[in-house]
Amino acid sequence: MAHLLREKGFNAFVIIGGLTAWKKAGEPLESVPREDLVKLPTFS
Amino acid sequence: MNYLLALITRHGYVLVSGIVFAEAVGLPCPAALALVAGGAAAASGILSPAVWLLALCAMLLGDSVLYFLGRYMGWALLGLLCKVSANPETCILRSAESFYKRGKITLVLAKFIPGVNTMAPPLAGSMRMRPQQFLRFDLAGATLYTSAYFGLGYVFRDFLAAITRGFQTAGRVFEEVLLVALLAYIVYRVWLYRKHAIYRVVPRVQVEELARKLASEERTKLLLVDVRSHGYYDAGSARIKGSIRIEPNNLVEELKTLPKDKDIYLYCT
Repeated sequence: MAHLLREKGFNAFVIIGGLTAWKKAGEPLESVPREDLVKLPTFS
Repeated sequence: MNYLLALITRHGYVLVSGIVFAEAVGLPCPAALALVAGGAAAASGILSPAVWLLALCAMLLGDSVLYFLGRYMGWALLGLLCKVSANPETCILRSAESFYKRGKITLVLAKFIPGVNTMAPPLAGSMRMRPQQFLRFDLAGATLYTSAYFGLGYVFRDFLAAITRGFQTAGRVFEEVLLVALLAYIVYRVWLYRKHAIYRVVPRVQVEELARKLASEERTKLLLVDVRSHGYYDAGSARIKGSIRIEPNNLVEELKTLPKDKDIYLYCT
């Protein structure tokens, strides 16, 4: 996805290790907004 | 060669079903090749056609294991499975996109789509597909897949019979066919790896370096973007403070909202 963004002219980078590395480093987090949880489709 | 034939004769059922099961649970094993060999062996009388049924059961068992693990472990399992993928960064995205586009029928077709085949059952589990529904679709997919490759081997039974008749010559041919098939498989894996190598040219940043930038005046010039796909957002989950989310499956629209004058830092799990 970062590659695609760069192709479109965005200055995109990737965080090494993602959220897992961020958590391990003890950096600040926040809860995912509730509206994001609701719109996810499921089969149930 | 004698040893190989003896192995197929004695342990053909275990070998074929074992390889199929191993691939179903995410190990990089050539199940299609095993099914073709099983079909040919069944046609030549070395094995009973029941080997197909065993392979089908093995595939259903492996898929069910991943389905229930996906159901109870959520997306952590998918991240783990994608680590052995040729392209870990798009592994989950591609599989999830397939479900978005094709819905439940993905389970029927997934076995024929490299990269999606292993991910489909745990995705179905994490997306809360009902077990009976999963089994119905997975049975259809597994039947189609095993029948296709087993049938291919069965149709070429004469080829195998020729091999077993002329042992000296055929033994060499069989070994060569096996070697070529294995080489083709390796070349295919290397091709997949190289095909996605382009993604590795994207600059990467360590967490510590990014944290330093966020603590400085540079923070106004950067944007953190959460690109986790569907299901990462399980209830109670967290994200990097101050980040925004873009939906990977709706990228065209999402790109319109992103600023081009800022450095964009993407992250997933």
